[in-house]
Amino acid sequence: MSTAVQRRETSAPTGEPAPPPWYATDLAARLSSYVFGLLLWIVLAMAFERVPGPDEVVVRLVQEFQLGQVFGHFGTTMFRFGLGLLVAAVGGIAIGVLMGLSPISRAFFESPVLVGLSIPAIIWAFLTVMWFGFGWKAPVTTVALSALPFVAVNVAKGVLGVSRDLRDMSRAYGVSRARRIRELVLPAVTGYIIAGVRFAVIIGWNAVLLSEWFGATDGVGFRSRYWYDANRFGGFAAWVVLFVVFIVILDRVILERASRRAFRWRDES
Amino acid sequence: MARLTVDDLCKTFPGSGGRPPNRVLDNVSFDMQGQVFVSLVGPSGCGKSTLLNIVSGVETYTSGQLDLTNDEGRPARLGYVFQDPRLLPWRTVVQNMLYVQDDNSSQTRDRALRYLDMVGLANNTDYFPTQLSGGMQQRVGIARAFSVEPDLLLMDEPFSHLDAITARGLRENLQEIWIESRKTVLFVTHDVMEAVQLSDRIIMLQPGGRIFDDITIDLPRPRHQSDPKVATMQAEVLGRLESMTGVNDDVSQAAPTGGAP
Ligand SMILES: Nc1ncnc2c1ncn2[C@@H]1O[C@H](COP(=O)(O)OP(=O)(O)OP(=O)(O)O)[C@@H](O)[C@H]1O
Ligand SMILES: [Mg+2]
Repeated sequence: MSTAVQRRETSAPTGEPAPPPWYATDLAARLSSYVFGLLLWIVLAMAFERVPGPDEVVVRLVQEFQLGQVFGHFGTTMFRFGLGLLVAAVGGIAIGVLMGLSPISRAFFESPVLVGLSIPAIIWAFLTVMWFGFGWKAPVTTVALSALPFVAVNVAKGVLGVSRDLRDMSRAYGVSRARRIRELVLPAVTGYIIAGVRFAVIIGWNAVLLSEWFGATDGVGFRSRYWYDANRFGGFAAWVVLFVVFIVILDRVILERASRRAFRWRDES
Repeated sequence: MARLTVDDLCKTFPGSGGRPPNRVLDNVSFDMQGQVFVSLVGPSGCGKSTLLNIVSGVETYTSGQLDLTNDEGRPARLGYVFQDPRLLPWRTVVQNMLYVQDDNSSQTRDRALRYLDMVGLANNTDYFPTQLSGGMQQRVGIARAFSVEPDLLLMDEPFSHLDAITARGLRENLQEIWIESRKTVLFVTHDVMEAVQLSDRIIMLQPGGRIFDDITIDLPRPRHQSDPKVATMQAEVLGRLESMTGVNDDVSQAAPTGGAP
């Protein structure tokens, strides 16, 4: 049984100040940064022979699509990246919650997490290839191990900040531990989780490319290296452009949206 | 309903940063049971909230005994209205109500909605707390406390943050709900008028956390501020509170504020 309420339409107040001119908006600033980057690229390409220009990169990109190379490698990499990230997120949230809730687990996990934070992805990439050889296990493990500590640290910080008043309230009412974690702790740390996952995405993406570069026979990292080894910088740059675009879209569109949805309760006030 | 026995309860907060330890409750003993509304009155800082927190199990005590059971002799189910609303900001009103329930059955949900209706919030069940006024949030806190069908209901100055008109409305509201439900209630206030209107018994705490007086209020309900018998009683209780303020002078504790007018 739910009650109908009319509160979702947000009516624009009439006395609103005039919108800023088009050249002073966020969108204009963002677009001009893209344009500036493109110009810089063109200039660099003209100045240095070994820097492929946008035109060459676009041609290469189209060729790669025509060769049917893009989706296969991208799909492979996405699977590894996604799986590794999932492990990092789930494991990082679990460890972070534990660290935030109990001083004993904080003492236990503090040093391993610190060590994890300080080991760069490239070390994991080498180690995992030594352990697992070529294949999907090395990149997935590299992503998971590189990204997990960042999620854990962020989540632990968030859990430590959960309001004492609300914890007391939950205790007085005898709310079960599982429910407290689900409805009090996790929503309170959503912001920290999203920040942690954002970090993890960047770091994990780095990790998967490195790992594929050194230890795989397919995937985006492998294909980039293929062009690099062939001394064809156009092809190499085409892949760089592809995954930069991918990361920007992932962060801007998906994570940004997730964060807005998670904070609906704050925005609707 | 519940039975609450407090025996020689003491609470001392350890001193921190070079300050001496702070004795907040000093040999507090009382006993309450059944369909009774008990008020705890005293000036600010005399340990009222601390006592409620100890009863609710959120705070520990230093020495003494505390026994709280329901009619069947099992641990009592508690409802607690705090000085501030204490709602989960990311949950809607009805989700906040369900958060403290033992199960998710449809009866539980209906009961939660019934209490929201009683405090006049039937049309706001899908609002987030930030979309409600302070008084409405406090009403959710009250509805939440009743909706768990508590054996013992603890209330800590639930109206002190509200304007006089809203507070009066909610007080009437609380009286009606109590007459209907007759829970065991331990109610904290520093407002003598409010205490007399609502309670069967008033326990006065003095600064330093000793019980100063224990007064029975034997008046028929519903009680109204305008009723001369209520007014007479209020004057009498106020008189006793003032005699306690005289006692304050030789208590070297922090000076009470916001006590008797
Ligand atoms: N967690 C704590 N640590 C140390 N001292 C505390 C703590 N909580 C309360 N106190 C002290 O205990 C005393 C009593 O506080 P308490 O909140 O119980 O007063 P109160 O009677 O509820 O006052 P009010 O009417 O203003 O709410 C105060 O002197 C306060 O400084
Ligand atoms: Mg208090």
